[in-house]
Amino acid sequence: MENIRLLLVDDEPDFRAPLKKRLARRGFIVLEAGDGDECQAVMNDAPVDVVVLDVKMPGMNGIEVLEWIKENHQKTEVIMLTGHASTVDGVEGIKKGAFDYLTKPLEFPHLVQKIEQAVEKRRREDEKKQEVAFKEKMEQQMISTERLASLGTLSTGIAHEIDNPLAIIKESAEYMRLLLSKADHADMPRKSDFENAVGKIETAIERAKRITHQLLGFVRKPETFFAETDLKVLVAETVEFAAKGAEIKGIQIVQDMEGANGILWSDPYKIRQVLFNLLTNAIHAVESDGTITVSLKGTDARVMLIVEDTGCGIPKENLEKIFEPFFTTKPPGKGTGLGLYVTCGIVERLGGEIDITSQVGKGSRFQVTLPRSRKACGDMGDNKELCVDILNKIKGDPAK
Amino acid sequence: MIRIPAKVLIVDDEKDFVEMFSLRLSEGGEKVFTAHSGQECLEKLKQENIDVVVLDIKMPGMDGVETLKEIKKRYPIVEVILLTGHGAIETAVEGMKQGAYDYLLKPADAGEMAIKLEGARKRKDAQEERIRKAEQKSLLRRGGNL
Repeated sequence: MENIRLLLVDDEPDFRAPLKKRLARRGFIVLEAGDGDECQAVMNDAPVDVVVLDVKMPGMNGIEVLEWIKENHQKTEVIMLTGHASTVDGVEGIKKGAFDYLTKPLEFPHLVQKIEQAVEKRRREDEKKQEVAFKEKMEQQMISTERLASLGTLSTGIAHEIDNPLAIIKESAEYMRLLLSKADHADMPRKSDFENAVGKIETAIERAKRITHQLLGFVRKPETFFAETDLKVLVAETVEFAAKGAEIKGIQIVQDMEGANGILWSDPYKIRQVLFNLLTNAIHAVESDGTITVSLKGTDARVMLIVEDTGCGIPKENLEKIFEPFFTTKPPGKGTGLGLYVTCGIVERLGGEIDITSQVGKGSRFQVTLPRSRKACGDMGDNKELCVDILNKIKGDPAK
Repeated sequence: MIRIPAKVLIVDDEKDFVEMFSLRLSEGGEKVFTAHSGQECLEKLKQENIDVVVLDIKMPGMDGVETLKEIKKRYPIVEVILLTGHGAIETAVEGMKQGAYDYLLKPADAGEMAIKLEGARKRKDAQEERIRKAEQKSLLRRGGNL
């Protein structure tokens, strides 16, 4: 038992002092209070784990102090001390939320045992709370993942269905194009109008095709290719590639790559696609004279690739939606609304995750965390057993 | 030089697609036949001496891959170009292992289609040429033995 904070509340200093000494020897951190007021002052100063509380005190009596503790410091456990003849007080204390009571004169081993039990109860309650909070968080995540997954299934289905009529439109347009180019149509009336209209159809077909192909190309698992990858090299290459677009807008791309080792075992092509998507987004978000910073952080197990911009930022109401397919704030024809959806899918497939922080008018920060090796994929950290257990519970719950 | 038109069989359950595609290919000088199912495709192959089959992978009933296997069993030197949705490239790869000449993503580009048709047809011509030569040789040898 380490760092357990104990508070002794008793109006007799001669009773407290030796007890404090003996308890301190057992490794507890022992605080003292001579009455209810002092007890409140000590507890308001810093929370304690267990209070050993005498019932009979001048001023506020023990039951009153107990009521105050349970109202203001619910997590603190209280052990009541009663006179030999007044176990009634102890029972009343338990009714009011005390952990237990002991009768004076005290047997020291009993007291230590009670304190340890109280601490144990507190620990269990903390754990339970953590578990509840964790479960809630997991459920939230599952809901959003499932939502994305079903959106994905739906949109790929639609994409497939659209490809077929699109093929017919394309064939028809190409047939018209061919007919228009024939010699016997050279003198056709209003030929250029027809050509113009066919041209519009062709452009629109290309646009629709881009959407369906992007969507289908991502969802069907294109094979991943794992190799030793140096993020520093990869970032330098990708930034160079994206720099042209940035230069036109007068945006500076800063590389701050010395924060960590950039070597990892992953799919360089996929990471490049992720980085390129993030850089393209950043370039779109930043007005002229802005800055985009690409930086690197890491631990032994993970690498964090961060793309920060001084752009327009993402409003809170959009933050939840930006990973959904077809969510875009760009005008029709400019963005497919698939960039981040695809990016997020790739990162997940590589065993990583994306975090965003953004402030409207200040800029956005995208952090991609990737495992250094494939072993670390799906690593849930220290809570692995708990995670698996809770996941099973959630999955197995028929109400869900 | 007079170009001999290739005999192309288009197989797809989308009738409008087949119609427009065949119109365009005919206009471009090919001799086009059409079928709307795997079964119909095999019948057409029985009647006509087809060079290249353009075959949609996704069809109700006998699907593209089954049809392909049947074509290759009965007419091994007929070339097949597969038409596939973007999501089904694996199926196309599988098809090429079964002997298809190549594949195209739907909606296919006219230019790419022309190139692949030409390539398929050339491969078939070359194969037939080799067969002819081999036959001649075997005939000559037999003649020598007499």
